[in-house]
Amino acid sequence: MLKSKLAGLGAVLALGMLTTTAFAQEKPVAGEVKEGSLKGKTLTFVSYGGIYQDGQVAALKEFVEKSGVKLLNDGPTEIAKLQAQVESGNVTWDVVDTGDLPPYVHCGKLFQKLDLSKLDVSKIPEGQVGECSVPAMNYGVVLMYNKEKYKDNPPKNWADFFDTEKFPGVRALDGSGDPTGGLLEQAFKVAGGDPKAMTAADIDKALDVIRKLGPDTIYWKTGAESQQLAESGEADMLMMWTGRAMTAVKNGAKYAPAWQDWLVVMDQMTIPVGVKDTDAAYALLNAYLGKQAQEILTQQTSYTPINNDAKPKVDESVAAFLTNTPERQKQGYKQNIKFWVENFPVAQEKWSALMAGN
Amino acid sequence: MSALEPTIQTAEKRAGWAWRPFALTLPALVLLAAVIGYPLLTIVLRSLSEPEWGVQNYAWFFGAPVNLAVLQRTFTISAWVALVCVVCAYPYAYLMTAVGPRVRLVLVLCVLIPFWVSGVVRTLSWVILLQDSGVINSLLRSAGFAGIRLIRTQTGVVIGMAQVLLPFMILPLYSVMKGIDLRLVQAARSLGARPSRAFFTVYLPLSLPGVYAGAIIVFILALGFYITPALLGGPRSTMLSTLVQTQVLSLLQWGRGGAMGVVLLVTTFLLLALAAPVMRSRHREAGRR
Repeated sequence: MLKSKLAGLGAVLALGMLTTTAFAQEKPVAGEVKEGSLKGKTLTFVSYGGIYQDGQVAALKEFVEKSGVKLLNDGPTEIAKLQAQVESGNVTWDVVDTGDLPPYVHCGKLFQKLDLSKLDVSKIPEGQVGECSVPAMNYGVVLMYNKEKYKDNPPKNWADFFDTEKFPGVRALDGSGDPTGGLLEQAFKVAGGDPKAMTAADIDKALDVIRKLGPDTIYWKTGAESQQLAESGEADMLMMWTGRAMTAVKNGAKYAPAWQDWLVVMDQMTIPVGVKDTDAAYALLNAYLGKQAQEILTQQTSYTPINNDAKPKVDESVAAFLTNTPERQKQGYKQNIKFWVENFPVAQEKWSALMAGN
Repeated sequence: MSALEPTIQTAEKRAGWAWRPFALTLPALVLLAAVIGYPLLTIVLRSLSEPEWGVQNYAWFFGAPVNLAVLQRTFTISAWVALVCVVCAYPYAYLMTAVGPRVRLVLVLCVLIPFWVSGVVRTLSWVILLQDSGVINSLLRSAGFAGIRLIRTQTGVVIGMAQVLLPFMILPLYSVMKGIDLRLVQAARSLGARPSRAFFTVYLPLSLPGVYAGAIIVFILALGFYITPALLGGPRSTMLSTLVQTQVLSLLQWGRGGAMGVVLLVTTFLLLALAAPVMRSRHREAGRR
């Protein structure tokens, strides 16, 4: 009697497990990799090199070992190179890490529209999955100020950043390439406009606010340069990537962040149009989105994970600059992606004129 | 000169063999056609065909004030760099011809060692030297002077670029100076010329081919500089290569990027064509004297 009951229970359990596996086959779970599923296949992963790509590769180590895939690395990501590959019909980049906007600007042309039934996006922070992209990691652009210079009256937000009368001192802005939409929106707000109702003509008004910062303004070209500007005290207020801000503070820069309206930015993971094995690329993405992979990524790079369950073990200095705490999420400012995608060429043209001294 | 004449004559006699040197350069010509000619042709074609056939990319270039300002700035900065290089390299190259072999080796190494270090590394060292809280400014301040703004100015860019390009000036200058017969200067002195007169009428004209060669190499290399102006300069020292990069890598406007490259190339050729007669006549004059 007992025996048959146990057997029955076992049968139920087995049945349950069977259905779960069947379910898993239909619906992928982030981070799960099927043993030996990609044996003999090769995938080329493209990102920006340095500790960031090293961290990504470390995050994908389990995927490589379990699936048996051969993972090649290339970089840095250049959209022009990808365009050349797509145009010539010889796409060798299977999964590409890009900046914030390109997957939206070139969706369907250079980047595949993602089939979300092949990915588990349930743990990704809200509003970050694009038609052609899932996030690769989160970070922020944050206002950093010199604690010794501003002492008891520190700047609190971007309005203070643009106010050189109340807060004299040298400013440093991101001049590494593309304009930062969120910053232009903040500048437009200072000019008295409403970022929600911004038009292409308003970009000039925003740029004028930046021009008014004066000839001493520094436009840093690389993240390393921004860090150096803080560590040497060359600039009194900087817009900085959180990763670089964290490292500068760790290295002894007496700077502190003003978190109000920090600009939410991210890297994106994409699959180019015309890759040879789309399913293998999806498998890589799905593994990358997993909890454990994201924990490894954060531990190695200090960037914020994009899996809500991830609990990376990091020290205090790194934790201070992670952007996924409830408090930070409340303070963050999201740019109007749709506007910047539509007006990308105009904004870029005007921004590069400013960068060229005009 | 007279020692060369017999060789020239024999070469002329055997005119049938004249094609041989050309045959020997064939591999180099094929290589040039493949790695320079073909890409260049592609760039010209793309500048005229993207997004559609026509001169729209050139119209755009000349219609935007920022492009013209930056083009002019690119030439100005490059000319300054060439000038600074001539001034710094001339005495140095002369010293190289005047000292014994051992000291010369040291001098050559001093030129070449920085040459082997990556340009990025050298540029970053300049950042440390030139920045407001950098070595030069802290020395000035500790000596009681006011600091000067060097980084993110054109001066800073010219200093950094001149240092990176100096070997390209010193080496051609040295190779020309090495060939100058110093007995000519002695002859001038023995005929009563003051040292300065002997230098300006005999030595300087004979060394001018080296000055021109070096200056042209430095000037042309400077036109295409990217990293140094990006790191040492501010918006007001942006050079054309940065704008090309924005068009090609960020906006995917390969036609526009191509047009900018073609404009720079053609303008450079025009300038050199204008400068060539001046250089040639001086050269001949020097030879005659």
